[in-house]
Amino acid sequence: MRYAPAILVGRLTRFAARLRKPGGGSAVPGLVVNRIAPNYLKRTLSGFPQGLVVVSGSAGKSTTTKMLVAILREHGVDVFTNPSTANISQGLTSALLEQADWRGRVPGDVAVLEMDEGHGALVMQGVDARVVALTNVMVDQIDRFHDSEMVAGMLGRIAARAGEAVIVNADDAYLERLAAKLRSDVAVHRFGVSQAVLDSAPRGLGYTETAGRRLAAGGGLVIDAVEGREVVLDDRGSEVRAGIPARGIHYAVDAACAYETARAVLGERFSRETAAMALSAIPAVFGRGERVTVRGQEVEFVLVQNPASYQLNVDSIEPGTSDILFAIGSDVRDPSYFWPADAASLGRVKIVSGSKSAEAALMLAYDGVEIDRVEPELGVALDDFLAAPAPERGVKTIVFSADSMRRTRAHLGLTGTE
Amino acid sequence: MTLTIVSLLPTLQNTNGDAQNAAVLARRARWAGLEAEVVAVDDRAALPERVDAVVLGSGSDASLETSREALLGLHDELRRWGTEGVPVLAVGTGWELLSWGIETAGGRSIEGLGILPGRAVPRDGRVTGDLVVKSPLFGAVVGFENHARDYVGAEGSPLGRVRSGEGNGRDSGQEGVVMGAVFGTHLHGPVLAKNPAFADHLLGIMAERAGLAYAPGERAGEVDGYAAAARAAQLRAAGIEASTA
Repeated sequence: MRYAPAILVGRLTRFAARLRKPGGGSAVPGLVVNRIAPNYLKRTLSGFPQGLVVVSGSAGKSTTTKMLVAILREHGVDVFTNPSTANISQGLTSALLEQADWRGRVPGDVAVLEMDEGHGALVMQGVDARVVALTNVMVDQIDRFHDSEMVAGMLGRIAARAGEAVIVNADDAYLERLAAKLRSDVAVHRFGVSQAVLDSAPRGLGYTETAGRRLAAGGGLVIDAVEGREVVLDDRGSEVRAGIPARGIHYAVDAACAYETARAVLGERFSRETAAMALSAIPAVFGRGERVTVRGQEVEFVLVQNPASYQLNVDSIEPGTSDILFAIGSDVRDPSYFWPADAASLGRVKIVSGSKSAEAALMLAYDGVEIDRVEPELGVALDDFLAAPAPERGVKTIVFSADSMRRTRAHLGLTGTE
Repeated sequence: MTLTIVSLLPTLQNTNGDAQNAAVLARRARWAGLEAEVVAVDDRAALPERVDAVVLGSGSDASLETSREALLGLHDELRRWGTEGVPVLAVGTGWELLSWGIETAGGRSIEGLGILPGRAVPRDGRVTGDLVVKSPLFGAVVGFENHARDYVGAEGSPLGRVRSGEGNGRDSGQEGVVMGAVFGTHLHGPVLAKNPAFADHLLGIMAERAGLAYAPGERAGEVDGYAAAARAAQLRAAGIEASTA
């Protein structure tokens, strides 16, 4: 009963927010409830019968969270999870309110939350997690986290909240150092790629510091091979094959993280077959290597969010693809940190667009990429790009930052944004 | 003859893509019809015989001591390049390490290599944002700054006057420091790509020292058009009219 008044106020705020902005989600109700009932978030997160699972790290946490939720649900577990856009305190409370009854209780056996590495350390103060999974340490948006030490420090504070187990990427040297500092009664589970998989990555895995040694077979979950849209896992001597949502080693790594985390959460109840089935059933992840049909033609969407995903996703574009639109929006405050990545494999880009089009063109040009046209207006660029005849080679491919992705989808009347 | 551009400590000192300025110099040299290569040098053993320019980027505070150790192994060379007029571009903490010294907010004091005058001192909070500088050599110089320290003692020969942003701070109104052909700046990332006049100044010195002629290539002209658009956008955002910049 203690939270009923706050929940009521939160509901009313949500109602008011929806009147103003029909159909829109809003962090305002969460802000209001956090203000009048500051312990609500903490108590609710700590109150799920099978505990709280937190996924954090620089890159891949959205995908990993989705995969983990799918595996747990396939095992018959009732899961509460947050939309990836609601991974900071207000948004999290708002997401809880969506599901809460009038007393503030949220249904579900277990909560699986994607946690922003910056806000997570703050949100997690006083919250007890059962299991924490960490994907990797990379330099994120430059204005937020100026260096990897800072990211690792924040992830360390999140990991310290785990009471039972922490799952780490064994190929990430920062995470391995972090794991060494955990309390001795917290189990550490590891996943990592085989030497062959590492050797097949043209530019490595993109972590700030890749560990010198690979995970030994039996020391955890090893990614033995990545073949197109399939990953071959070595789970303590048993071979497990599962589909991944798109080409790319990073998807295989996300799948391994989700698989290993599910194993830690479910214990005896975990089934390799069920996990593989759940992973294979996940549709292509929105915005990265996603194929859509727009205006009667097939188009591939490739999302770039940080230097590592930029490199990996650019590498995953079929060399020789003749029709590429490249759009970087205002969400990329300063594109400097993209410069170490090499986009030379794109060869030629038809149109560079978005509010940062000039900076993007400059970067591509110094990578040796030919640019046919720079058109800052994304709407105009999209219309012209799609109106052009069918490509000589490959499918029409749109590479965009998150902001340009939202604008693209809105312009093309596509729904499904989360 | 191949122009050799050394990218110093690219593993430790490339937080913001500053080391890519070496690639920018090489690319522009090739566009001008000259041969050029970038050599990554993490320790003395990797030094090429001939060095035409040096780029040292910014790193994390945690690696300050490690980077200093590595640079000490090249102390003689750095001094020699400085006196001989080899262009050196040092950015962020790379610049700070070439100064007299660094004082961190945590009370650490790190002796610099003394290649550039002045020292880095703590400031209240980190500054991140656009930085626009008016330089007597290159006109408007634009970029992004991201640093936790001010810089004092550069008053004698700064890179330029701050039009927008913080720069060296401490109310100096100045940014960077220049000593012969050694440049220290907070402008991180691809500062030479965004400011072609700066790049061409360094390339001019490199070519002259090597007995070559440098004139920007045709492709550079096209690409500098993108740089001009990016610069104009940044000047607009800073509320500075291009004509007065």
